[in-house]
Amino acid sequence: MQVGLKIWRYDSKTGDRALREYEIDAPEEATLLDCLDIVKDKHDGSLAFRKSCRMMICGSCGMRMDGGAVLACKVRMYDIAQEGRVPVIAAMGNLPIVKDLVVDMDPFWEKMRAVDPYLKPRYDQAQERENVIPAPQMSVIHKESLCINCGCCVSECNSMEVDPDFLGPAALAKGMRFVGDPRDGATIERLEKYSEPHGLWDCTRCYFCSERCPKGVDPRDAIAKLGAEAMKNGIDRDMGAKHARWFVTSAKTTGWLRETELVPKTQGIVSSIREMKFAMGLAVKGKVPPPFPPHVAAEVHESRALFDLVKSQDRNGAAGIVQGEKALGRIESHHDASRGRDPYTEADSAPRPYLPSEREETEGVTP
Amino acid sequence: MEPTYDVLVVGAGCAGMRAAIEAHDRGASVGVISKLHPTRSHSGAAEGGINAALGNTAEDSPEMHAFDTVKGSDYLGDQDAIEILAAEAPGDIYQLEHWGAVFSRNGEGRLDQRPFGAAGSPRTVYAADITGHVLIQVLYEQLQRRMTQGMKVYEEFFAFRLLVEDGRCTGVISWDLMNGGVTLIRGKSVILATGGVGRLYRATTNAYACTGDGMSMALREGLPLKDIEFMQFHPTTMYPSGILITEGCRGEGGYLINKDGERFMQRYAPNALELASRDVVSRSETTEIEAGRGVNGSVYLDLRHLGPEKILTKLPGSRELAMTYAGVDPIYAPIPVRPGAHYHMGGVETDNQGLTGIEGLYAAGEVACVSVHGANRLGGNSLMETITFGRRSGHAAAEYALGAPAVGNGGEAARADAETWIKSLLGNTQGERPWSIRDELGQTMLDNFGVFRRPEKMEQQVEVIAGLRERYDRGVVIEDKGDVFNTDLTQVIELGYLLDIASCMLQAGIARKESRGAHSRPYDFPERDDANFLRHSISHWKGDGPELTYGEVRMTKWEPMERTY
Repeated sequence: MQVGLKIWRYDSKTGDRALREYEIDAPEEATLLDCLDIVKDKHDGSLAFRKSCRMMICGSCGMRMDGGAVLACKVRMYDIAQEGRVPVIAAMGNLPIVKDLVVDMDPFWEKMRAVDPYLKPRYDQAQERENVIPAPQMSVIHKESLCINCGCCVSECNSMEVDPDFLGPAALAKGMRFVGDPRDGATIERLEKYSEPHGLWDCTRCYFCSERCPKGVDPRDAIAKLGAEAMKNGIDRDMGAKHARWFVTSAKTTGWLRETELVPKTQGIVSSIREMKFAMGLAVKGKVPPPFPPHVAAEVHESRALFDLVKSQDRNGAAGIVQGEKALGRIESHHDASRGRDPYTEADSAPRPYLPSEREETEGVTP
Repeated sequence: MEPTYDVLVVGAGCAGMRAAIEAHDRGASVGVISKLHPTRSHSGAAEGGINAALGNTAEDSPEMHAFDTVKGSDYLGDQDAIEILAAEAPGDIYQLEHWGAVFSRNGEGRLDQRPFGAAGSPRTVYAADITGHVLIQVLYEQLQRRMTQGMKVYEEFFAFRLLVEDGRCTGVISWDLMNGGVTLIRGKSVILATGGVGRLYRATTNAYACTGDGMSMALREGLPLKDIEFMQFHPTTMYPSGILITEGCRGEGGYLINKDGERFMQRYAPNALELASRDVVSRSETTEIEAGRGVNGSVYLDLRHLGPEKILTKLPGSRELAMTYAGVDPIYAPIPVRPGAHYHMGGVETDNQGLTGIEGLYAAGEVACVSVHGANRLGGNSLMETITFGRRSGHAAAEYALGAPAVGNGGEAARADAETWIKSLLGNTQGERPWSIRDELGQTMLDNFGVFRRPEKMEQQVEVIAGLRERYDRGVVIEDKGDVFNTDLTQVIELGYLLDIASCMLQAGIARKESRGAHSRPYDFPERDDANFLRHSISHWKGDGPELTYGEVRMTKWEPMERTY
């Protein structure tokens, strides 16, 4: 098949950037990575990109296609070529470009190192055999342990674009991998560290990381779990934690969000006084409801019943974060058991397996 | 003065990282060079698991593990090395678990173990079907911890020459991929852990990086390669990409069927069926395909009867691979598979401490041949080898280095010489591009030196390699002339490595006039010949090509028997 690609070339020596178009002949099963290989082999040997396993596990070939991060080896080109689309390929975002599609991953790894990315064992003395841990306890970190460090999440992170010091989705997911591990003994120390400025509360919850992750790690979910664990352990100095806590209190007591109290509860009194002028401006335009007396929702008992229900489930901390998990799981696995397909009786089904000996018994023939 | 370490490790997959950790923990200063970032190493693509006789699922013992491995090796494995592997494996697994490896657990919360091919007990510890990934991650975590304590990792440094002074290896010359330039890094001892050479074959499970770098570097310094004709063909690699589908699929109960739906393995291995040894299954598949009972040059791996839940929990990665690269959801349809080059049983000859024939030079993992795999490796044993023998070589190299004299001063001349060579490669403007030689080599190796080896095809392949070598020596053109991330340069050097190893394989393969393990000659020597070939082939590089001799197999308590499954 004919495949067209536009590739952003970059020369770090001169700083020159150029969008070059390539027209190549590729086999129908070709991935984007295969196509880049063909460009390098037969069209321009100076094209630079990283590659190794070509099976979605080494994490080398993160890059951008039409503005979003992908693993090049995971993108099949057939449909794109059939539609006549010519995708634009570029280096990942939020990391310095070294050459063409190769970025400098050092900032990525520096942040990884900042979360102490290794087990700090709970026990003093090593056990003679393995630690005995019920499987469900390990499944808390199932998604986080799938990370291949490709950088696709970091490439798309909006917070990091504004604040390059933000720890970012990959490092925080790695952090959750240890906070959620029953064998790790540094939970509090970690949560304190990750709650510092540029830490977990600086995530803007845009979900681009979870959307772009090629492995289903779901970093935003990991960050939510870290936040919940931090609050469970009383680590809530950060405005983000205070903000979240006030949402809960407000909804529980009056059945809705008391916005005028949100600012002092989150930022503190002194900081709020500085916002008075802004608040007055809002009030003049009718944007601020009068704080006193607090408005109580008519059916507030329903809201309170919900809190009681959640409390009775005893899902504190990370265990309480179930938002979107099932839905994301389905997207990742593309599997819906309710479709009820029978893998053996459809028109194009492969034949039903049998052992030669069974056939001999039933038919009395030897093959 | 160049950077100097007590122990310098080349390659950062499972073996290299395990060696580096051990050397560091023994008090040595450690440097690690890798042409990839460590977590990109191909160990991470291992799927099914790692063998240790923990006995968590059923009764097991190191003795049983050792016997299965000896039998699997078609009696070519060195039995003392195999006994070491089997005995030390459980402790090494517990160590990994204590470091935080995220293995799958059984109902009691202990490490779960699944059945694997040719194993007498469910012995394979695993993490769903991404075991290699989990190991690479935990080892790199431990490496990062030690990087805060002085360990230095040179990522994306392409090692291409060993520095040997007065018969002792004291450093490695490499090309700095990020910045360009030829760099010498010194080590009082050096550990090669550069992996295999699957890229010799067009249909391979191996990553682009698996180009036999360490094997060729050692060969060119006069070291022998042992049993180099034994390339394992994995029975379930996807058509057409060659991407691996784990043996764990069959361990969990998957079937192999031909185009009629017949579970043909019953005719070849009536007891073990799909879980016979890999060489046996690959030969059976090839026989089916050659007899016209395949589909598109493949057979089917059928998981439909396992049901969605088992597939989604135990084999999610395999399902994702099948959906992405074969367009098949294994819940509803079988996966087209065929044998593909997977693992090199042969490699740089070492002793049980990983020491090669050069003082100060050690080797571990797929680059090495201790040998624990002999003529055929069992699934799950290679990851275990990387850990156990990685650790042992790290220990031995550190012990040697801590008592060794300082390195010499002769390095600069060697570095300058290497630089001149690189410049000459880059300066070449006449000739062909490397891909045409590389692709032809890969296709002909598959056609002429694959699962079944025909005498006339092997002879033909010797000619093909000679022709390709001539074209390569005439000069290939590197179009990228720059210093920054010049993989056009490194792929030309890698192609030279491939040609070296191919020559050795063919010579040793033609000379081995028997069928043993992965070396199968059904048309002229269909039987195993213990009288003449219960010996290791030993290949040296002399002048322009390889020279073959033989070495003894170390036997302890198992006499060769007929091998059936």
